[in-house]
This record gives sequence, C-alpha cells and structure tokens, in this order.
Amino acid sequence: MTSGMMRIWWAQIRAVIRLEMRKTFLAKRGLWIYVLAALPVFLFVAHAFVATGWRNGSERLAQRSEKRLVYQDLVAVKPGMTRGEVIALLGKPPVTFRWTENRGGDGNSQVVVAHENYHYSDGQNDLYVGLADGTVGSANIQEGYSPGQSSILFAGIFQFFFLRLAVFFGCLGIFMNLFRGEILDKSLHFYFLAPIRREVLMAGKFLAGLLATCTIFVTSEVLQTIAFLWPLPPSVRDVYLYHNHGLQYALAYVGVTVLACVGYGAFFLVAGMLFRNPILPAAAILIWEFINPFLPGLLKQFSIIYYLKSLCPVDIPTPPGMPPVLALLVSNSDPVSAPVAVVGIVIVALIALYASSVQVRRMEINYASE
Amino acid sequence: MSPPLNDRIVFEDVSKFYGEILGVNRVNLSIPAGITSLVGPNGSGKTTLMNLMTGLVKPTRGRVEVLGIKTDDPENLFKVLGYSTQFDAFPKGLTGFQFLYSYLLLSGRDSQTAEQMAWRAIERVNLVEAAKRNVAAYSKGMRQRIRLAQALAHDPKVLVLDEPLNGLDPLARSEMIALFRATAEQGCSVIISSHILHEVDVISDQVILLSNGYVVAEGQIQNVRSEIQEHPTQILIRCSQPRELAVKMLEDEHTIEVAIHKDERGLLLKTRDADGFYLALNQLALNGIDIESIAPADDDVLSVYEYLIGNEEAAR
Repeated sequence: MTSGMMRIWWAQIRAVIRLEMRKTFLAKRGLWIYVLAALPVFLFVAHAFVATGWRNGSERLAQRSEKRLVYQDLVAVKPGMTRGEVIALLGKPPVTFRWTENRGGDGNSQVVVAHENYHYSDGQNDLYVGLADGTVGSANIQEGYSPGQSSILFAGIFQFFFLRLAVFFGCLGIFMNLFRGEILDKSLHFYFLAPIRREVLMAGKFLAGLLATCTIFVTSEVLQTIAFLWPLPPSVRDVYLYHNHGLQYALAYVGVTVLACVGYGAFFLVAGMLFRNPILPAAAILIWEFINPFLPGLLKQFSIIYYLKSLCPVDIPTPPGMPPVLALLVSNSDPVSAPVAVVGIVIVALIALYASSVQVRRMEINYASE
Repeated sequence: MSPPLNDRIVFEDVSKFYGEILGVNRVNLSIPAGITSLVGPNGSGKTTLMNLMTGLVKPTRGRVEVLGIKTDDPENLFKVLGYSTQFDAFPKGLTGFQFLYSYLLLSGRDSQTAEQMAWRAIERVNLVEAAKRNVAAYSKGMRQRIRLAQALAHDPKVLVLDEPLNGLDPLARSEMIALFRATAEQGCSVIISSHILHEVDVISDQVILLSNGYVVAEGQIQNVRSEIQEHPTQILIRCSQPRELAVKMLEDEHTIEVAIHKDERGLLLKTRDADGFYLALNQLALNGIDIESIAPADDDVLSVYEYLIGNEEAAR
C-alpha cells in the first residue's frame, strides 16, 4: 500500500462523503430523525422554563420572609410542634392559608378544627407546613432545582430515551439507507461505475453516516446539556461544572453518543446490505440490546449497549420496591472499565464493518429483483 | 503493480443465472478493438453481457477479463472502461455538471482536473447549455447524453454503451454515431447494444448475435453471412435488360429463384453458389449484357439475424 494509493483513497472517501452529505442532511426522508433528536431538547427546555419560574417564585417568597432562612431552618420543622415554635423558628410565614373543618362528633355535636397552611422558602427550597388547631400535622419540603438530583433525571433520559431510542433509530434511518436507499432509488450503479474499491466506497459511506449522525445527535446532546444547566444560578452552575464533575459528565455523554453512533452505525450498515426489509433486523437488534442484561457474560459482549452503559457517567439508582427484572434493566450489574468499553465497541464495530466489506464486494446491480 | 494489459475483452465459458432465470449461458468471446455490436431482441442477454463485462453482476460460472483486468477489480477496471447504462436514475439534486464532476472526484481526480474533464465531456455530447440544470429536469435524450458523457469523461480505452441511441432525435443520433466512430478510430473498443438492427449495420465493425441468452454468431457481418449455408445468397443486379438477364441466369444450375425488381431496372436473384454465380455473370457481361451494379442483398444484420434466429425473434 503506497502513500499515493492512500492519497487517492482519501480523496475518494472525501468525494463519497460530499455526495452523501448532500443527500442525508435535511432530506425529507430523514426529517423524523431530527424530530427524534430534538425531543429531549424540547423536554429539557420545557423543564428549564418550569424550573426557572419555580426558582423565581421561591426567591420572591424568600424575600418576603421575616427572616433570612437556610435549608437547615426548613428541615428543623417537625410534626407536633406548635404554631408558636414554628414562628419562633422561621418567623411569620409570608404565605398563609386558613380554613376550618367541621367534623361530625357524637350525636348532634359538631367539632370545628382550625387549619392553617404556611409556605416558607430559603430562595431555593420550599417548605409547606400544615397545622391543625395550632399543631404541626405535616411539614413537606419541596427541594429546588439542583444539579445533583437533576443529573439523575438527565442520566435516565439519556440512557432510556436518547441512547436506546433516538440514537438507535436515528442510526437505523441513516446507516441502513446508505446502500439500501440507493438500491431502492436505483442509483447505486453510479458508485459502482467509478474506479473505486468497494471497501473504500463502504468506508466513505460509513464515515458520511457517522458524520451525519454525530452532527445531529451530538448537537442534540450539547443543547440538552445547555438546557439542563440553564435554570441553575451561575454560581451553582460553576460549582457543578468545574468542581462536581459536571463538565466531565457532559464530555462523557458526548463521547458515549459518538461511540453509540459508531457501534449502531456499523451494525445497521451491514444490516442494510444483508436485508431488504429493515424492520426485521432493526427489531432483532433492538430485542438483542434490550435483553442484554439477561444474557450470559460471553454473549453480552456482542452488543453495543453493554459497553455504552458502562461508559455512562451517572448511575441510575434502583428505586426501592422495583421488581428484580426491571431493576436488572435499570442498574448496570456487570460494568466494564472505560478503556475496555471503548475498545469493546470499536471491536464490535470493526467486526460489523468487516462483514460489510465482504458483503459490498459481493453486491451486484440487479434492481429488478428488489 | 499495474495490471497486465492485452487488447481484448474475453469471456471464458461464462454463464449467469438470476436464480433459476437464465441471463446468458456458456458464452465464449474474444472481442477485439473497434465497434462491436451486441444484437438481439429484448431479453436476449445483451445487458447481462454488458453488466458482466463491467462487473455490475458476477458470473455464476466462468471468467471475464477486460484488457487483462478482472471484472471484480473495479479500481483498475473503471480506469480503462466507461459504461453508459440503461439505468435511468441519478443521484438526487445534482446538475449535469455536478453529476460528472462528482463522478470524476470519485475517480480520485483533484478538483481542478475533475472540472476540466467534466466540461470537456459535456462539450463532446453537446450539453453545455443544460449543464447547470438539475438532471431531474432533463429530457430522456438529455439524460441519455449525460450518461454517455459520464462513460466518456475519463477517456476510457473501452466504452460500453447499452442502447445508447434510445431517446435521441435523428440529428443527435447521427452526432453520437460520429462520436462512437471517432472514439473507435482512436483505438478504443466500443461495445454497443441495440435491438434496432439497421442502426447496428451502420455502426459496427463486428457483431455478436444473441438469442435467449446464447451467442448464436459473432464476427464481421459478411463473414457471419457466408457461414450460413442453408440460406441461399441474395444478390441485387442493376441492369438495363433485366428480363433477358433473368432468362440467362435461370440456366445456371445453382440459381434457385429470380425476380424482376419492381422498378424494372434490375433483378433479385437467389443462388446456392455465389462464387459460381459471379463467374457466370462475368461471362454474360462479356457477351454484351449491360450490368450497372451488383450488390449482396442479404448480408445485413437483419437478414443474418432472421436466418439464424427466425423472423419472430428478429421482429421483437
């Protein structure tokens, strides 16, 4: 293999990418992929609006409070305390709601219970106190928008919607059509009539698909992160990003997205060459990825999600009381180290690309049979 | 290492089946330079033969080589070969120029060279004015021409053209025929498929006759004709005394049939011995019969095809 050949191959790959980009980006056929990528962004933007509104409300409430409160003050209120103790601790409540309850007693006698609801805030977290006849019956704290809790929400959406559905089906739509779409359009012969090695053509198409999916889904991922961080006060955001691994997590999510595109892309490229109907292989791969936690150790390694889950920076805690089967899906019971996970995805992708290169050499132009 | 070159397109015992459907069977050919026509009705195997020689389909059995290059080596094959297919689909959203330019970039050419070569090919097929228009808006004839430009763009040594004159108006047809001739004169092998037999007659140096997936004859058309013994040779004789000549010719034992031409200025004769006929005719001429011209009347492709395949097949 000479450097001259390498130069020509690279020029050919660039030409393939150029042609494929023209077809892939903003093609009507692929609009649903943009919608899929944009859905979590919309979700986080909507969440950011709600959280910002809520935080502003809490801040206004805190400003109206008699005392400047901190979180410890709020959690100090316990059931059984008297009105006086609460007011001594937190000051006069900025928001009060009073109502009476008539309870049926023995015979014709009626018991009247005086209820009061107090609403306090430290500017971030809200406390709702319920009093009955001057005694605290309930004290509930509504915790404000914090990166700690929200990062678990982010991780859940990333793992269970973005990776397993959006990136999965997005890669299906783009990579499966690289060859299958050309066959259906009866235009694959254009490539096969050029003096280009079939393997080089396949590499060019794969890279074009990778560039398209990475552009779409990494952009989505970055926008999701921005929307996720938007409602945080700048000081909290800085602490989260630079001292609590926030930036590291964001980069890890981008990396996992890219690796998901590599892995699923390679799978769907070969599937698009081997199968006429994309539904069957897509369903098979989806089921294979879904049952991964239940597979024996050796078989687990031949899936993409096995490695991707290990690379996700935030573990999703299993809620108490969750059935063991579902808990197995949520948790990552058998994680591998990051280098092993990256190498694993690359190896699985290379195996799929090798199968593609064998298949592309065998391909014939016979549109009549399609 | 550059691939070994020879100057022929070789099929060695090649068969192609699409499942249980026969494409071509047991084809042995060695096609020299010049214009070679693949002739046969629809479904006779012309396109399959072309797809085999360009590697778009793989033989079920046998071996195909183009100028010594195996057809499963597209990287080297399409450096020397250009193929204008019958597939009427193009990559979406490209203008005529972009179509050729992209093809040349795919071939590994740099941007500047690709641009120059694309324009040169566009000029060769007279499509300069439409070059900046989207191919999707082209007429059938224009699409035919841009495909031809793609096949020609990289100056191939072998040009394979599947029904290249389909959809062209008479002027464009004659321009294209002149282009094929000029290309062949530069030493290029031009392989043309056609089911329009008189068109082939005008163009070809040699023909390959196909029927139902089999090669039924190949070579220069006159040589093919002379091999067909069971059909008498037809000869058109132009002369001023056709009736007198007809009587004389009927005396020759090899003459089977004589008919006076409808314009009364010649006769059409069938003989089993063309050489004997010409000797006898010379004798008659010496004896004072005025003969203006003699021409074979059935060594065209249509006649040969009819003799070999039958009228029904030839008419399809």
